[in-house]
Amino acid sequence: MKKIEMPGTDLRTNKAITWCPGCPDHMILESSRRALLSLMKQGYKGKNFAMVCGVGCHGKTFDYLNVSGFYALHGRAIPTAIGVKLGNPNLNVMVFAGDGDTYSEGIAHFIHACRTNPDITLLVNNNQAFSLTTGQATVTSQIGYKTKAEPLGVSNLPVNPIYLALSVGCSFVARCNARDIEHTQLVIEQAVAHKGFSFVEILQDCIVFNLEVNERDKHMYRLSDKKRSLGKALKLAREFDYNIGKEKIPMGIFYKEERGVLDDRGLLLKLKKMKKGWKGLRK
Amino acid sequence: MRLNILIGGKAGQGINKVSGIVSQALVDSGYFIFNYRDYPSVIRGGHNFNVLSVSDKKISSHESRLDGIIALDELTKKIHESELKKGGFVVDYKEFVDFGINLNIALAGALMKVLGIDKEVLVNTVKKSMKGKLTLGESIKAAEAGYKSQDERYGLKKLRGKVSLLSGSKAIALGAINSKIDLYFAYPMTPSTNALHELASRQSENNFMVFQPENEISVVNMALGASFAGAKVMVGTSGGGFDLMAEGLSLQGQSEVPLVVYLASRPGPATGIPTYTMQGDLDLALRSGHGEFPRIVVAPGDPIETIEKTNEALYLANKFNCLVILLSDKHIAESEFSSNERAGKPLAVRVVRKVPGEGVVKASSYEHDQYGLTIENVEIARKNADARLEKYKQIQKECNKFEMVKVYGKKDSKNLIIGWGSTKGAIIDAIDGLDFKFLQVLYMKPSSRRIKKEMLKAKKVILVENNLTGQLGRLIREKTGLKIENRILKYDGLPFRSDELREELMKVR
Repeated sequence: MKKIEMPGTDLRTNKAITWCPGCPDHMILESSRRALLSLMKQGYKGKNFAMVCGVGCHGKTFDYLNVSGFYALHGRAIPTAIGVKLGNPNLNVMVFAGDGDTYSEGIAHFIHACRTNPDITLLVNNNQAFSLTTGQATVTSQIGYKTKAEPLGVSNLPVNPIYLALSVGCSFVARCNARDIEHTQLVIEQAVAHKGFSFVEILQDCIVFNLEVNERDKHMYRLSDKKRSLGKALKLAREFDYNIGKEKIPMGIFYKEERGVLDDRGLLLKLKKMKKGWKGLRK
Repeated sequence: MRLNILIGGKAGQGINKVSGIVSQALVDSGYFIFNYRDYPSVIRGGHNFNVLSVSDKKISSHESRLDGIIALDELTKKIHESELKKGGFVVDYKEFVDFGINLNIALAGALMKVLGIDKEVLVNTVKKSMKGKLTLGESIKAAEAGYKSQDERYGLKKLRGKVSLLSGSKAIALGAINSKIDLYFAYPMTPSTNALHELASRQSENNFMVFQPENEISVVNMALGASFAGAKVMVGTSGGGFDLMAEGLSLQGQSEVPLVVYLASRPGPATGIPTYTMQGDLDLALRSGHGEFPRIVVAPGDPIETIEKTNEALYLANKFNCLVILLSDKHIAESEFSSNERAGKPLAVRVVRKVPGEGVVKASSYEHDQYGLTIENVEIARKNADARLEKYKQIQKECNKFEMVKVYGKKDSKNLIIGWGSTKGAIIDAIDGLDFKFLQVLYMKPSSRRIKKEMLKAKKVILVENNLTGQLGRLIREKTGLKIENRILKYDGLPFRSDELREELMKVR
């Protein structure tokens, strides 16, 4: 097969970006790109990165980052990414997903990934709305949010993904502010370096639809970097319930632990050592 | 010579052990067997039975009239005594209740004596079958006591041929292993589960991995992810799980990442009758998944064909980066067949696609350009669609190299039976010595031109299918414009029995 090099520099492609002007998705893309470049300086091989995207506004990241990847189906980015990891454990697999993707359509996959702990990284762009389908409520939308599909306003409790992830065994849980590019970059780097399933939720504004949740920077505060117990992390997770209020929103790494990893079993360990994927294995 | 022996009892009493030991001893003595398993969705209790058919010639079906009954409980006698031929025998559990957990072994011993197999063969088979068990000594005692209790009836002396046993599920595993599969993903669902178990038990010695994710949606998407990364993959399921995978099949069509799906049917709709058989999912296999994209649907008719077609499926999927559905059902998956033939030499399955780790490779669920980047350009969209159609033409050409149909029976007969999949065994056994020709369709999509040729040569065409609406008949009409007027359809969850099918065929002819 003819090898075609994609045009672009510094992990960018030459694809025109079609997010709304001013959308924080631009900033998350930039944090991710800088994180990858920085990781490559630290010794990670660019060709070994593989991204898997869901479908939603965030998914367009697929077209803008010049790394290998699979633009998966809505809600299915996590199982697809686990598959990529099992298909070649030497790849550094990153999932770019949205709140609709991860918490609505694909919540079962999210819970199971927390439990099985594959060595992949999940970044969730959470703007608390289905914005690419014009603003319907996701499971993290605040009570009272009025949309074209919920004209009387959302009446169900939002799910708290940080609390959920912690309670089902996620081994790395963090929350970032999309507008804070430097901090988000650093957390992404740590998430990729973490051995196990790393979950980073990135809170972002939607400047067109769910306007009520915008401009929350003043409520946010940074968690200290010191290691904390699961109990303490769970307590911190409950400080913010995704509704609109005056409560503080903790940001940073909530919890981190090293434990058994899905792809550190049997044959996969052997594959990692050989560095060639399944085709390196004699049968 | 042909015998049909029913072995019945409650789930958990070990009727499969009885048929297993006796089948093994019979094939080791050069006889052919076919073992049909009939059981409800019950783990302990209820009523299960096997019909073990025995012959000195090759057979692949069971019959309705019984030569003997091995009853592990009272209910078995009550239900099945009316099916016994005049002068047929019954071995009653009551004589052997003292053997407790070894009741089934004692009955296996009794049956072996009735059949006239040497005691030495019995002891060796029990030893092999119970290897490593602490109770082996007691099992042998039970087998010997059972053997002693009966009189010989049939005198089945050792024959020369070399015959071996195989189920469709084991054949799926063999086909996958022959193809040097890397990953098998599945979520348990009868009747595909035995293939999952068989592959799982053989993964370490054969350097591949079996993984059971949280649901079938995850199964198919994970498989596509792994295939994208360069692994040779296969997934297995039954109708309900296959429905959940539909979005993944469509993703295969857009992303062009190779995928093989083993679909083992059971009667639907919905949960249906989980442990029975039906050929009700041909339409589903042909059409599931939104959008228009190439696919191959292959339906083997017995375990040997299953080994070969599984290999062809993996070969074709990886050669054309396409979807292949391997369509089977409970009757093939869970019945035990015997054969003196061997599967052909497997084709080497090669990964020809570009994979991540070697450069930037992008696969997508969106319509995309040559780099894999999203497009909404109508020109490229049309070209991509044309390319998918062109690929199907290449696939058709390649499939012509394989056995897409097979012909059995009287080659110059004007009475043509058309069927597919698990009805093969009953049809071949039913037409033995009669004026019928049988055309077995193995490739459902693409389909062979020979189907039309054979139909035009025949005076009478008869469709035999294990479903309600004659789905192959419809497919043939779509492809050839020819309607098959004579149809023998069975849709009660049970497979055809060859003696009953023979009567039906004679009525139509």
